[in-house]
Formats: sequence, structure tokens, C-alpha cells
Amino acid sequence: MELLVQTMVNGIIQSGFYALAAVGLVLIFGVMKVVNFAHGELTMVGAYSVWFLHAQNDMPFLLTVVTAVVLVAMIGLLMERFLFRPMTDSPLGGLICSIGVLFVLQVAATLVGGEGPSKQVPPPYEGTLVLFDMLRIPYQRLFSFAVAATTLGLLWYFLTRMRIGWALRAVAQDREAASLQGINSNRMSMIAMGVGAAMAGLAGALMAPLTNINPHMGHNVIITAFIVTIVGGVGSLPGAVIASVLYALFHTFVTTYFSGTIATISGLVIMVLILIVRPSGILGKRVTE
Amino acid sequence: MLAKHRTLMTIVLILAGLLILPHYLKYHQQDFLIFLVVNVLVVASYRLVTLTGEWSLIHAVMMGIGAYTSGMLTKFLDFSFWISLPLAGVVAGLTAALLSFPLFRTTQFYFLIGSFAAGEAIRLSWIHFIRPFGGTSGISALPSPELLGIDFLEPIPYFYLTLAIVTACLVILYRIEKSRIGLTLHAVHWQAPLAESVGINTWNYRTLAFTTGSMFVGIAGALKVHYIGTVTPNQYGIGFMVFILIWLIVGGYKTFYGAILGVIILSILDEMFRELEVIRPAVYGAVLILFILYLPDGLESLPQKIASRIKGASPKGSHS
Amino acid sequence: MTNRTIDNNRRKFLKQAGAGMAAVAGAGMVPLRSYADDTLVVGMNIPMTGDYAPWGLPGLYDCEIIANNINAAGGVEIGGKSYQIRVAAYDHAYDTEKALQGFKKLVLEDDAKMVMMLGGSTVASVLPWATRKKVLTTTLLPSDITPDSDYLFATCESHPLYNVTGVVWLAQNYPEAKKAVIVTNNDAEYGLQSAATYKAAFEVAGIEVVDVNLHGFDVTDFAPIVSSVLAKNPDIFCMATSFYVTPLMEQLYHQGFDGKIISCTLDYYEEIIAKTSEEFVNGTIYQFPDFDDPMLNNEGIHFPDPGGFDAAFRKDHPNDWSAVAWEYPAILLNWIENAQRVGSGESEDVAKYLRNNSQNFVFGGGDWWGSQLWGLDHALVGRWPVVVIENGKARIQEYGDLSAWLADHTEVLVRHMKELGLRTV
Repeated sequence: MELLVQTMVNGIIQSGFYALAAVGLVLIFGVMKVVNFAHGELTMVGAYSVWFLHAQNDMPFLLTVVTAVVLVAMIGLLMERFLFRPMTDSPLGGLICSIGVLFVLQVAATLVGGEGPSKQVPPPYEGTLVLFDMLRIPYQRLFSFAVAATTLGLLWYFLTRMRIGWALRAVAQDREAASLQGINSNRMSMIAMGVGAAMAGLAGALMAPLTNINPHMGHNVIITAFIVTIVGGVGSLPGAVIASVLYALFHTFVTTYFSGTIATISGLVIMVLILIVRPSGILGKRVTE
Repeated sequence: MLAKHRTLMTIVLILAGLLILPHYLKYHQQDFLIFLVVNVLVVASYRLVTLTGEWSLIHAVMMGIGAYTSGMLTKFLDFSFWISLPLAGVVAGLTAALLSFPLFRTTQFYFLIGSFAAGEAIRLSWIHFIRPFGGTSGISALPSPELLGIDFLEPIPYFYLTLAIVTACLVILYRIEKSRIGLTLHAVHWQAPLAESVGINTWNYRTLAFTTGSMFVGIAGALKVHYIGTVTPNQYGIGFMVFILIWLIVGGYKTFYGAILGVIILSILDEMFRELEVIRPAVYGAVLILFILYLPDGLESLPQKIASRIKGASPKGSHS
Repeated sequence: MTNRTIDNNRRKFLKQAGAGMAAVAGAGMVPLRSYADDTLVVGMNIPMTGDYAPWGLPGLYDCEIIANNINAAGGVEIGGKSYQIRVAAYDHAYDTEKALQGFKKLVLEDDAKMVMMLGGSTVASVLPWATRKKVLTTTLLPSDITPDSDYLFATCESHPLYNVTGVVWLAQNYPEAKKAVIVTNNDAEYGLQSAATYKAAFEVAGIEVVDVNLHGFDVTDFAPIVSSVLAKNPDIFCMATSFYVTPLMEQLYHQGFDGKIISCTLDYYEEIIAKTSEEFVNGTIYQFPDFDDPMLNNEGIHFPDPGGFDAAFRKDHPNDWSAVAWEYPAILLNWIENAQRVGSGESEDVAKYLRNNSQNFVFGGGDWWGSQLWGLDHALVGRWPVVVIENGKARIQEYGDLSAWLADHTEVLVRHMKELGLRTV
């Protein structure tokens, strides 16, 4: 029983990171039709920023999180302007550019951090919340989850309640129709990429005190983000959030009761199955051929 | 007719050059040459898959399937290399054929991601199921080929073996592309709706390209591991897949020789710049971006581009 | 910015080691470089970049320290002649293909008389060639030894065998600890080898293993894994040979584990203390000493001036000490000693001598062992330190007698190795 509840909590906390990373990927794909393969690396840059500024140079933690988000958003904007925009007509072109960026960012991280062991960031919020004498949640995780959930809430507000959010969704649905209505699709791409990258950066910054930081940490992030994206339905943001929670719970439970590798393998298999049975994902619209 | 003779002559000259080349190389460069020749087959077979316009991310894993098949057959069941080599291709091809059912229900982005997921699931299985795949350390001490008492542990004999098999495979791949089937594959890519309207089953042709390409890369996988003697799951991860993509794109995916050009030039540059070490991948990344932005048809289009530049500068030249 | 310095130093080194590399790679006609015949070259075919770099690179720094010291003192005398020692390194980034190329380069172009490697699949890929060409090769993983590999030796680290000494010490000092769990990565080179050994050691010590969690390298969140094993209420948490010691320790700390922690390595334990607390890390048992440990000045220790070596290393590379830091130098020193005894640095001569003679193991003792498990007695085993964190510092508690344990309990070990699907003869 204890283990069940603890696993539940572990899974829900994990879902916050998954959702932050996946929502950005979905947003970028939705608006720009580009698969950003470097999305995991954007997360990695967020984590490295916190390590470099906070752990190495004693900048206050919250300030470094903000800096990391801004930095990664700027990388995203540069990618949009100089790589994805010239490649608008070739979806594969954008993907390949992002693979190039992936390598460049990994090397940049190695140059900043040097080779050697994974980097560690001492958690700024120490201690563990103990509930009912059985449930244990480190404050650092609680903090990360709270920030992730708040951010996702703000994004939802932005997309559904603000004009510009409406415009963004219009472009995602039909780029041509949107531009006929006078929506500047380039501007929307910039916003999507900026927001998407910022969220990846935030995910990385929040993860930093909780994980091994190394130049290759983005690999696991992108696999998870792909799975969540497909399961949730490509282009569906609510789908991505729900899929994040489901997948995080699934993965955490399988890891707890079986094994981590089995959890990832079955996640990948489920993703392929969903591609076959319902390519539009659990919440996506039916794709018309 | 003359042009055809010239091409043939060129190929013969290149082959002749390759036959004597290893004797002028250092030991570790001979190894490098073997791996390079194998990688030529990897890229050429990948190009066949992409002919229909579907870029898969599972090609590296297909190579691994060939490698594991041949490794396990020779090591655990005492198969001869000469039998396990074609079987490696068959198993990789069969796997691809099976995967076609789910994967080709999708296209484009979905196919890309789906193939990536299927590949990772296979690769993670090699890691997870230590029996029989050996986990992360894979399977080692694989036997060398045996033939007429030739010592295939030495690089030069193995190089000739590799060269012969790869050349044969390339000839077949080339013939496929120039045949009716090849033309249909092109049509499936560029004119899918039209092709379907004249009764071509695009699913069949996508599957055919995917299966055939996988078969040849399976053979490439077997060729490589019997020289290294060890097969490990990490050789066939997304890292290697990305290199295959880069070779193809930088060389030029529109023509047969463009792809081959890409792998040769990049591999040699790579070996020359070993000194750069940690920043090497970044150079790769930058080259990739620059090519896709400024030379999307790859190296092979470079002479033409330069020629048209020159022509553009002096319009009179176009009359000659 | 210590990391910057490390990088610079390394680059400088690589420049020397790889002088003329570009030319070599470009054209095939460059003649083989020949060194003055008063130089003996020792090769290191190790990971210097990528995930495995921490278990390769620090060894290179050290071997340079050792070689420089030797050369500054006038070199070594072998067979009545004085030689300078040069270390040639090749970065294979833990890739089998690169390992094979690098090995050939070191032997045929740099004329290395002996090649040191980390182990695992990279050793497996060079083994057929090395055996054929009779190239003396060393590994840190004796599990690489096969019945045919008569030029491969493990002269320093006997991973994972020595882990039993920690368990023996634990059982003696904490007899009330009776239930253990093992959590480690599921690779056949490090994690599983070690897990099997700990299982054997626990069985011999009468400790019950209540859960074994072998996880993949794709794990990013260790909370569920730790929760799941702690639900079995263990007294002992064993990490075997894990690549994830820091995140595991962190989870143990947050989930309030107060039993004994035992591990093969505890690299960068200062960082673990920073992420948890000194009080929590104190008492953790593992197997790799710091070299400023006073117990290393005991009699029977076969390593010249450990304290001075430690200081020299930390001066140049303050954050890079890892489990392997002293091991490559120990192998290098052992090789020099044998070459001197034989009067020749040639691969075949030294290998022959190694096969037929007992050795001075770095921590004392020194028997050849391995045929019962891997088919050849090519792993040097002797006394091995049991290290415990005391007041935030690694301190050797005792030297465990590995040979004695193996003499009595080898069949238990073999059984557990088989159970996990590992190669045995």
C-alpha cells in the first residue's frame, strides 16, 4: 500500500517534466511542422546553465532558472529564424537542421563542462516532506512539480484565453487559412519556437538538481517526448499533457514493479501500436489521408 | 554509348586503384578502409529505402540485426560465415517486411518517428535480454570467415573480401534502381497520387524498397562484425543512424554516386581531424546545416552548380 | 575553472601524443616514425571522451606523472640499458571499431610494448588480433579473460572479485544486518558481474538478498527504483558497480534509508556529500581508497610514495580522482618491474615471465587466479582494501584477504555468475 501511494506520487511528479518537454515539442511541430530533434538538447542546455551559474558560480538558484529559460528561448528563436524558416517548404530539412544543432549543443556543453563525470547540482531546497509517516517527497521535487504545473496552467491560459494564443492555434490547424485571415505565420512560428524552447529549458533547469547532468542527457528526454507526443496525438496540447501523466505513471509503475528497460521498451511498443491503430493519438483529430 | 564506356572505364580504374591501395596504407588505415567500404554499402542501401520518399530512422538497427544474426549463427550454432552472411541479409529483410505492416500505415513524420521507436525497442531488447544477446557487452570472439586457408584476421584479405561483396551488392542495387521497379519507386515518391491512379500499389513498393534496403544493410552488418569480432548494441544506436543521414545528405541523395561520395569524403575528413577530438561532432553538425541550407542536393550537385555559375557569368559559353 | 585547465592539459598532451596525426591520416606514404632506441613506449587504448571517460582519462594523467618522474630521475634500467618511458594514448571513446584501429596504431605505428585498456567489449574486439600478434595487453576487468587470450592480463584491478572483502567486513562489524537489496545497471561488463559477486558474498556471509533490481541505462528517475526496493525493508543497500551512485545515494537520503550502504565505487564522494549530508554518507562501505590514506604507508603496500602521488595528481587535476586513477599507474609500475626482472621490454618476454612467476600485488599478496571462472589464471589477486567514509573522508579499514575467500567459495561465485547469464568456463 505504502509503495503504491509512493509510486503514484513519484509518477505524478515525473509527469511534470515529461509534460514540459513534450508540450514544447508538440507546439513547435503543430505550428511549424518541424520535428525538433534537438529538443532534448535544449533541455540539456537548461540543466547545464543551472550547473554552470548556480553550482559553479554561486548565482542564486531562482535567478539561474530564469536565465536558463531565457537563454534556451533565445537559442530557439535563432533556430527558428536562421534554420527552420528558410526550410519552411521541406519538413525533412528542418529535422536535419535540428540534428545539426543537436551536435553543436552537445559539443558546446562538453566545452563548458569538460569531459569527465556527470555534473551534479546540490539541491537548493533541502529536506523531505513526510506525509502520514509513509509518503516521502523531497522539497526539491515538490518545488519542481509546482513550477511545472503552474507553467502549464499559464500556457493553457495563453492559448485559450488570449488573442495571440487563438492565432497560434489557428496557424497550427491550417497555416494557409490562417494567413488568409491576416495572421502573420512567421511571427507565430517565432512565438511557438520561443515558447516551446523556453519550456524545454525550464524542464532542464528544474531537473538539474535531481539528475545526472551530461551532454548526452537529451537522448532520454527526446525518446520520452516522442512517445508522449504520439500517444497524446500530434498537434494536440491537452493530449500531450494527459499523455505525459499517463506515460509517467505507466513508466514509474512498470519501473517499480518490473524494470526500467522493460518500461521504456513497452512505452515504445505502445507508441508503435498507437501509430497503427489510431495515428491521431488519444486526443488528436482523425487524420484524413 | 561512348559515355557508357567512359563510366565503365572509370569504375574499372577505381576498382583497380582500390585493389592496390591497401598495400600503401598503414595498418590502422587498412582497418579504416574496410569500415569505409562497408559504410558505402550502408549508405547505398539506405538510399534505396529513401527512394520512395520515406526516410526511416531504423536503418542502423537493421544493420545491427544483420550483425547479431550472423554473429549468433556462427558463434552459437557453428554456421559457416558464407551461410550466415546471406542469412543476415534475409533476417534483416524479413524483419523489415514484418515491420512494414504497422509502419507503412503511416507516412512522413509518423513513419520517421514510428521507425525510430521500433528501432529503439529492438535495440533496448538486445540490451535487456542478456540471454541470448549478451546485454551491453554484446557477443564477442566471433569467428573469422574460412576459405582456402586464407587468413581473414589480416586486414588485406578481409579488405578484398569486403570489396568483392560490397561491389556485387552495389551492382545489384544499381540495377534495381535503373529497372522498372526503380522507376516506379521514384514515381511513388514524386507522384504518389498519380501512381496510385494508374493502379500502382504504393504500399507494396514502399515495403519492397524498405525490405530490400534492409537486406543489404544486414549484409553490411555481418561483414563488419566478423572483422571486429564483437557485436554490441551501442554500435547501432541513433548516433550511427545520424551519421548515415549526414553521409547521404552531404553526398547528395538524388543520385546513386552522390551518397557514396558523401560517406567517402566525410569519413576521410573525419579521420584527418581526429585531433579536433571533442569538437568533431560540432563540425559534423555545422557541415550538415550548411549543406542543407546552401547545397541541398549535396556534393554531387557541386560541379553542376559551379558550371552553371560560370555559364551564368558568360552566357556565350552556353552555345558551345 | 578547474575543468578548463584539465581540458587544456589534455589538449596539450594530445598534441604531443598525436604529433603528425593529420599528416599520417591524410597520406599513406608517411614513413613510420621511429623513436630513439632508448625509449620504451607504453600504449593506452582507453576512453578519453564520452560516458566512460571518467574511467580512462584520469589514468592517463597519472601515467604521465609516473613516466615524467621516472624520466626525470634518469629513466629505468632494463637489461643493462637505460630507457625513457613514453606513454602513447588513443581515445576509442568506448567504441569497438575505434578500439581495434587504435590498438593497431599503438602497436604498429607507435611501437607500444604493452597496451593498457579499461576492459569490456573494447577489449573483446582487440583480443583476437592481440593474441595472434602476441601483444601484451592489460585490462581492469578480469572477466575479459578467455581460455585463448594468453596475452591478456589483469595485473591490478580484479573487478568484481574484490567486492567480497567489503561484504566480509560488513558482516563482521554489523552482524545484525541480515537483509540486503542490490540495485545496479544491467550491463554484463560492470553491473551484472558485480551483482553476481555481491550475491555470492552475501550468501557466504549468511545475509539474505531480498530484492535485486537490475535497471537499464535509460533510467533518469531513480525514485521509483529506490522506493520499490526499500519497500522490502532491507538492512543493507548494495549498489554493486553502478554508474548511478550519486542519484541512488540522493534517493536513499530523501527516502530516509538508515541502513548500511555498500558499493564497489564511490567516485566523487564530495559531490554526494554536497547533495545529501556528511552524516548520511558517513559509514558507506566501498573498495577504492584515496591515496593520501595513512593505511597505504603500511608494510606490504607495493606502490611508491602513495601520498606524494596523490598530492601530485590533485595539484594538477583537483576534481578528477576516480577509482581508476591509481590503477593504470600500478599496471605501468608492475610492467616496469617485470621488464626489469626479465631484462627485456618486449611483449613476448614480459608476458612469458608474467605467466610463470608470482607477482607483488599493489596492496600485498599476489596470486594468479581465474581459470575456474574464465579459463586462465591471468588475474592477479591479493589483499584488497575495504574503505569506509569517516567524517566525510575515505579511510581504509582493513585489507581483506581475497585469495582466502576465493579458495573457499569459488563454486558459490561461479553459480551466481551462471545464474545471471554471465560467461563462465
